[in-house]
Amino acid sequence: MIGHLTRGGLVLAMLGLFMVLPTAMPTARANPIVADLSKDHISIRSNFVGEQLLLFGALAETPDGPIDDIIVVMRGPDETFTVRKKSKKAGIWVNDAAYAIGPVPGFYALASTGPLADIAPDRALRENGIGEQSLAMEFGRADIPAAERQQAIEGFIRLKQNSALYREQVGAVKIIGERLFRVEINLPSGMPVGDYITEFFAFQKGRLVGYQTGLLPVDIVGTGHVLHKAAYEMPLVYGTSGVIMAVIMGWGVAVLFRRR
Amino acid sequence: MQIYLPIAEISVNIVTLIGMGGLVGFMSGMFGVGGGFLMTPLLIFIGIPPAVAVATEANQIVASSVSGGLAYWRRRAVDVPMGLILMAGGIAGSYAGVQLFKLLRQIGQVDLLISMSYVVFLTIIGGLMLRESLQAISASRRGQPIRARRPGQHSWILGLPLRMRFRQSKLYISVIPPILIGFFVGMMSAIMGVGGGFIMVPAMIYLLRMPTNVVIGTSLFQIIFVTASVTILHAVENQTVDILLALLLMIGGVIGAQFGAIAGQRLRGEQLRALLAIIVLGVGIKLLVDLLTQPEELYSVTRMGFGG
Repeated sequence: MIGHLTRGGLVLAMLGLFMVLPTAMPTARANPIVADLSKDHISIRSNFVGEQLLLFGALAETPDGPIDDIIVVMRGPDETFTVRKKSKKAGIWVNDAAYAIGPVPGFYALASTGPLADIAPDRALRENGIGEQSLAMEFGRADIPAAERQQAIEGFIRLKQNSALYREQVGAVKIIGERLFRVEINLPSGMPVGDYITEFFAFQKGRLVGYQTGLLPVDIVGTGHVLHKAAYEMPLVYGTSGVIMAVIMGWGVAVLFRRR
Repeated sequence: MQIYLPIAEISVNIVTLIGMGGLVGFMSGMFGVGGGFLMTPLLIFIGIPPAVAVATEANQIVASSVSGGLAYWRRRAVDVPMGLILMAGGIAGSYAGVQLFKLLRQIGQVDLLISMSYVVFLTIIGGLMLRESLQAISASRRGQPIRARRPGQHSWILGLPLRMRFRQSKLYISVIPPILIGFFVGMMSAIMGVGGGFIMVPAMIYLLRMPTNVVIGTSLFQIIFVTASVTILHAVENQTVDILLALLLMIGGVIGAQFGAIAGQRLRGEQLRALLAIIVLGVGIKLLVDLLTQPEELYSVTRMGFGG
């Protein structure tokens, strides 16, 4: 249910509006959190080595006192992944079992003011899709034993963490004088392209009192963009260009070094 | 300085790439080999997806075989009809290889195919080369003349139907064996990202009995077309050719090859071959050990529909 609301929120966010989670908030109250990012889009150029994105905002005091905790979630576009497990066959380690997992975000970063367990009860976190554990790891097949499923999910999350595509930065969000907050999220060079969703959750005494969401488009630009697009949309032209480039290069070198 | 490769979708150090191109180019200039069988595993070792490494390396070999082949073309050391027959088989083989590659990629077994092919070819060829060069070294130490290996008798193969005259090679043989050899090497080229000269050259000498003066030129001539075919087919079927990566490897490769050729003239032939044999064998053994030892991470993840 909450999932639906967040998705609805996305549509509103696309229109540039802020969205408040009605289930979590008394209706009359103003949203106590206003947030923004240091960039409105990420451009992956040929020299892209990853980037640090600053997420910041202001907090308003509520009648119940100041905001205690902030959780920031940033997720990449949903994709379906194939997870494979190697096993030993005739002495050789080969890919054996394969699982289709998804749709899940190709990128998932979470930053918080402190340990999640101290901020809100597990249920509140899960309902709002906060934390890697709350991601819906749907398997394409239903006949996989629970233990095997769990291992595959853990393997998947571990691989994503190793390539810095999934990360939790506990304690990284700093609240300054009860009014301002800021956090830096590292975007790795291997980040998938597409529209990213940022979500800001404001908690007070374990209750969600403020919410804001926005979009962050991530694109490949420049030469890389042209090559990437051509490779997938005009593969014949792309491949032939590669060959022509190689012939010119090889020919040029042969001529150059012969004259010496 | 890092550079983002648009198809491999990772950032790599530009100096590392040009350096690797230079190192492999140096060795290929020194030993007179293509270098694809060293470059593809190296690319995989630095984290380029194997499917991208193979297809991109085929693209690079187009450049190195054009520049190498031109020298033989000027000396008229190319048997063009033979090259075209080998090429016809090679292009068919590259098509079969790319289709097999695509199929195995979909079921997640293409990395295994690439590794296994390398283990088999590198250990066999490295082993044979090492044995031969060690024998040559000990023979020359004892002051004996090096005996040229007598090729075996395969005349019945060459006497199959569809005979054709190859003036430059002074042969009148069936076109079936060269087509089959071309097909086999073309398939290898598609699967391993190599030119296949290290199979083609001995096959031409020992199986087809071609005179040695036209062998390398003819081999390079057909490699140009077969690797071009492999590049285009991989681009169309698998979208795994990274032109930017290929360009960087070419730059390093051509520079390295020039210095390698100079260094190669100063070293003795048998020792050079022993050194190359050890490198080839080393890469093969490393890949074999990787297949046999339990990997630290048993799981791997790819986007749906991608195998690489």
